[in-house]
Amino acid sequence: MSVALPRWLAVLVILSWGFLKVPWEIRMTKAQRLATVGVTGPSAVALREKLGQGLVLAALGGFRGLAANALLLEAHGAWEEKQWVRVRSALEMATLLQPRVALFWDLASWHLAWNAAVAAEQYSENTSETRKRMEARKWVEAGRILLERGTKAVPEKSLLFQRLGDLYWQRLADYQAAAACYREALTKSDVPPYLERFVGYALDKAGDQEGALEYFRQLRLSMGNPPDPARKPEVVDREISRLENELRKGREGARR
Amino acid sequence: MRESWRRIRAVAANTFLEAVRQKVFAILLIFALVLLAGANYFAEFSFQEQFKFLKDLGYATISLTGLLVGLLGAAQLIPAEIERRTILTALCRPLRRWEFLAGKYLGLVSLLGVMLGIMAGVFWLVLRWKEMQLIAAEGGEAQVVAAIRGEARDPRLWQALLLIGAKLFVVSAIAIFFSTLATSTTFVVAMTLMIYLIGHLQSVAREQWLESGEKAGWALQTFLASVAVLIPDFNLYSLIDEIVAGNAVRWPATLQVLGYSSAYVGVILVAAACLFEGRDL
Repeated sequence: MSVALPRWLAVLVILSWGFLKVPWEIRMTKAQRLATVGVTGPSAVALREKLGQGLVLAALGGFRGLAANALLLEAHGAWEEKQWVRVRSALEMATLLQPRVALFWDLASWHLAWNAAVAAEQYSENTSETRKRMEARKWVEAGRILLERGTKAVPEKSLLFQRLGDLYWQRLADYQAAAACYREALTKSDVPPYLERFVGYALDKAGDQEGALEYFRQLRLSMGNPPDPARKPEVVDREISRLENELRKGREGARR
Repeated sequence: MRESWRRIRAVAANTFLEAVRQKVFAILLIFALVLLAGANYFAEFSFQEQFKFLKDLGYATISLTGLLVGLLGAAQLIPAEIERRTILTALCRPLRRWEFLAGKYLGLVSLLGVMLGIMAGVFWLVLRWKEMQLIAAEGGEAQVVAAIRGEARDPRLWQALLLIGAKLFVVSAIAIFFSTLATSTTFVVAMTLMIYLIGHLQSVAREQWLESGEKAGWALQTFLASVAVLIPDFNLYSLIDEIVAGNAVRWPATLQVLGYSSAYVGVILVAAACLFEGRDL
């Protein structure tokens, strides 16, 4: 065998394998994306943006987690110093590095929509109450947008839908939107059992007592007979009778 | 065939022992200390966050230690033998060049395997120690204890370790491939690291080449195609991130990546053997 032949053989082996492996890689990537984020195709992001993100990922190799944790620590330090812009930028970068970690989205939205917003309301140097409220609203909105993005990045888990529902309820007083988020959370397999009652509470709070009563009745029916004690049937029964009483009183009051 | 296997085993055992004599296992002590320090560093966070920090730190330290040992070990294997002329003594015996190469690779991955096993054991012990510490600190509420145990005894730890091992074996094979071409260790380390980094971008190049539908110049298309064809897709191993994030990763997906890694190692070693056959020593 001449010396040149094995070199050509090496090139041939690598090229043949290269053309064979590409379809395999495409199949595996699609299967992984389908299993993790529920889509198969490449994301509709321009090459420049993809390269920007990709270069960060490539530069970090397999050490993205460490970098994201360092950013979380940076955000924690900034939180202690009440530097909310630093908190926001560090946590947004952490969610960019590890978008599939629900914990980051949860923590980031809590810092923005609760801590930063409350600080703006109570400790801001603004003298105008309206300006204080506007500033607080800006932080709540930032937290909401972050959570909306989080629900798209980790769509298979209930946690972020639950947190988005909490945000609509506690920070924006939009109880119908909160009920919609809790309903979406209920479609996930890891939903905690107590959350099924929250849809009814949110509908009631939104003023839709008929809807809440109907929801609780359906929920009670879905518990079967005998009901699972972990789903707290006695609480649902209590809510049904409370809502029935209130609706009856309301109807009687209207008749008078 | 049996004779071949005996010779490969002899070279592998020799490579393993040589590496052990260079005190590579001392690195493990540093690994354990880093992990123990890390386990106590984030005490002010919630237990879920603490476990995430600890797992990230554990997997990253295992990856980095393995990468350094695999890369530097593989980069030295052939060039150092050629420089010291010991390769001539080895090859004048009834030992084929491909057997020498396969033995060297096997010795290196045995070393990596043993190191990964020890690091995984230390990691497991630190996780269990953290579990006991957190249970004592958080109180005995059954739900909290179950959640802490769930985090600490996550069986996906072994899935992640298999993926880390597979990735390291591929990187080592690439380093061996370059070491059959090169005379200097620096060249091998630089080229392998470059492939390692570009490998994390390979899927972007491949999608742009085949799936984007955008029109690009032939020069750019040729470049993207070359990256897609010649370089492994290291993004496939990002399943490890999913595991740390607490997301479900199915075994068939892991096994597919392991199969891909085995095939890659096989092909790279065959190509390396071809190059080594034609090399003047």
